[in-house]
Amino acid sequence: MMTPNLFLPLRAALLLAAMTIAPAFADQPAPKGDAAHGKELFLKIGCFECHGRVGEGGGFLGPVPTLAHTSLPLDAFTMQLRQPANNMPAYVASVLPDTDVADLFAYVQSLPGPLAADALPEILKH
Amino acid sequence: MNKDREDVAVERRRFLKGVTLASAAAVGSAAAPALAQTAKPSSPAPAAKSSPAAAPPPNPIAETLPPASDPVTQTSSGGEFMVDVLKTIGFEYVAMNCASSFRGIHEALINYGKNTAPEILTCNHEEIAVAMAHGYAKIEGKPMCVLTHGTVGLQHASMALYNAFCDKVPVYLMIGNILAADKRGAPVEWAHSAQDPAAMARDFLKWDDQPQSLQHFAESAVRAYKLATTAPMAPVLLSLDGELQENPIKNRSELQIPKIPRQMPAQADQAALNEIARLLVEAQNPVIIADRMARTPACMGRFVELAELLQCAVIDKGGRTNFPSRHPLNQTARASVVVPQADVILGIELNDFWGSLNTFSDRIERASAPLAKESAKTISLGVHDMFVKANYQEFERYPNIDLDVAGDGESSLPGLIEAVKKYLDEGRRAALEARGKKLADAHDAAILTLKRRATIGWDSSPITMARLVAEIWDQIRTEDWALVGENIQSYWPRFLWDADRSYRFNGNSGGFGLGYSAPAALGAALANKKHGRLSIAIQGDGDLMYAPGTLWTAAHHNIPILYVMHNNRAYHQEYMYVQDMCCRLGRGIENAHIGTTMTSPNIDFAKVAQGFGVYAEGPISDPAAFVPALKRAIAVVKEGRPALLDTLVEPR
Repeated sequence: MMTPNLFLPLRAALLLAAMTIAPAFADQPAPKGDAAHGKELFLKIGCFECHGRVGEGGGFLGPVPTLAHTSLPLDAFTMQLRQPANNMPAYVASVLPDTDVADLFAYVQSLPGPLAADALPEILKH
Repeated sequence: MNKDREDVAVERRRFLKGVTLASAAAVGSAAAPALAQTAKPSSPAPAAKSSPAAAPPPNPIAETLPPASDPVTQTSSGGEFMVDVLKTIGFEYVAMNCASSFRGIHEALINYGKNTAPEILTCNHEEIAVAMAHGYAKIEGKPMCVLTHGTVGLQHASMALYNAFCDKVPVYLMIGNILAADKRGAPVEWAHSAQDPAAMARDFLKWDDQPQSLQHFAESAVRAYKLATTAPMAPVLLSLDGELQENPIKNRSELQIPKIPRQMPAQADQAALNEIARLLVEAQNPVIIADRMARTPACMGRFVELAELLQCAVIDKGGRTNFPSRHPLNQTARASVVVPQADVILGIELNDFWGSLNTFSDRIERASAPLAKESAKTISLGVHDMFVKANYQEFERYPNIDLDVAGDGESSLPGLIEAVKKYLDEGRRAALEARGKKLADAHDAAILTLKRRATIGWDSSPITMARLVAEIWDQIRTEDWALVGENIQSYWPRFLWDADRSYRFNGNSGGFGLGYSAPAALGAALANKKHGRLSIAIQGDGDLMYAPGTLWTAAHHNIPILYVMHNNRAYHQEYMYVQDMCCRLGRGIENAHIGTTMTSPNIDFAKVAQGFGVYAEGPISDPAAFVPALKRAIAVVKEGRPALLDTLVEPR
């Protein structure tokens, strides 16, 4: 028998963290990684399984943060992969070298973030 | 089904056909008087008249008729009385997968009872029948009757029973059994009989019985109904002996059906409610967390009145639709903010109190940490401690509670509201208004943040969950809608849709056993049908594969429901768990798909549904193509038929 969601009670408790939306990207340094390779990795190593193919976020043991247009600096991004602060799986360097991390970082930075409040699609205004 | 019994029946029909032909051939001869004289073949002719020389000619009719002590017809059956009892109780439906061990009551339902109240719902699996009853009860507020085989049928039904037990939902299950060993046909009826058939499910039943007489049945049937519908509610089971169902009624005029009482749920002690009210009114940041509270449509209005009096934060855990999703005091999206700030926390019908006040890490050490302040006063109001069993651990981790008040949450709200009013003076009301304003602003900001988040990947393919949910909402928001199934428990409907009635969302399975969502949604849709509501289910592909026959039942009984597939071609939660373990061991995730995904071949759910007679389209992965298909499918549902859209959606 499958276990649809073992930690459902945590979902509401953790939702706010997942709702965090990246601020403007203008302050971020230009990514040095290869975004195209980062996209391949994003799909290959399963980032999209929880965060969505376009970094829209999702749910696993509670809501999963968005990654599109992330505001995390590369160091923090790497740290989250190596020593996750929450229930996220850890990706060690032998599985995901630093160069690949940089490529992943470049990809998620390249993804369009959320629209501004005044640009919401009409159906989200109801 | 008992195939052996069918085979025996076929043989017997052939045999009797031969008798009929022989009888017809004898018409006009001495056959008729011979028939009259030989109607009692069990009385052998006197020996003195029996001599080889005077032996009568062969009489096939006489030789093939059963003896009078083994009659072949009857004018009544115990099943008829059982149907009288079911009608008196007031069941609308009996969901079943036909089985020889209850053929007696089955015949009585369709002929004596005219298949009306209760009407039979034909199901292809016992799990479907019980899950339909589960979903129906949460909408209609009363149980559906279910009939299954005693041994093999109950085993099929057991997962669905466990879900209902965990979800505190009444299901009225009757099973067939053959008690007397000498009345069982070999070999099948032996395999289908048990000394104590309910034993395997008793850990998740509230009560069960195996009546020994029809009067016993009547009393146990009413007792079972009363117990099932007394909070905390749970499934009950009656084992029906085949002899009792099938044999003639000997004493119908002596049988009595007990009164069906009006039941008044146990309200909490008023002194205890006064104490809760005092703590809530005096608190700086009270929080009310509700889970399986709302049993009737009246509950939501009372809960809103209580929250608005207190201008306090409300968290709706979603076991039932307790509180309007768009009410400004609904802080479900901000639970991680309001719970740590709370100085008084009231949990109403909150089974997992501990999990609401603590975080838990699914890592190697599986550590936990408090979310609430240690100084926070914790209050529990509910009935869950009034019915707890030991084996299955659905009662969750033991919480720290300061004040534990026994009483039905919904029934206790009026007393709590009156008590709060007594403690509130004008000065306090003004202070609370300011608190409410802050909460409302925070609610609006949280929802806006979520709406902005929903725009990420708006036009991407596969369709994002947020886009799927937003488009469905756009089509149903002016209807009297009900989301009757949503087995991945996505937060998008809860925050994007305006759930302002208790039937808008129908909770979850309770036991988190898959195979619930599709049939439970159908049961809920059946309940909604007579109210003219538009029933929608966001249906997981993995869940549907447990009980795809649900779609045939939907088509067969013309139950209007729209299944929008959340097709991610995987048991995706399990995929993520396996991915987690792969990462823990540093082995990469290249093999995580093994045993967790459903590809090669991909399942064509539109064709599956069409094969069952359900209108279906798909697969659809383009958001632009989804909306026109959604409109067409809703039109079909409004005509009173089921429909399915196979939509390829992001994993979560």
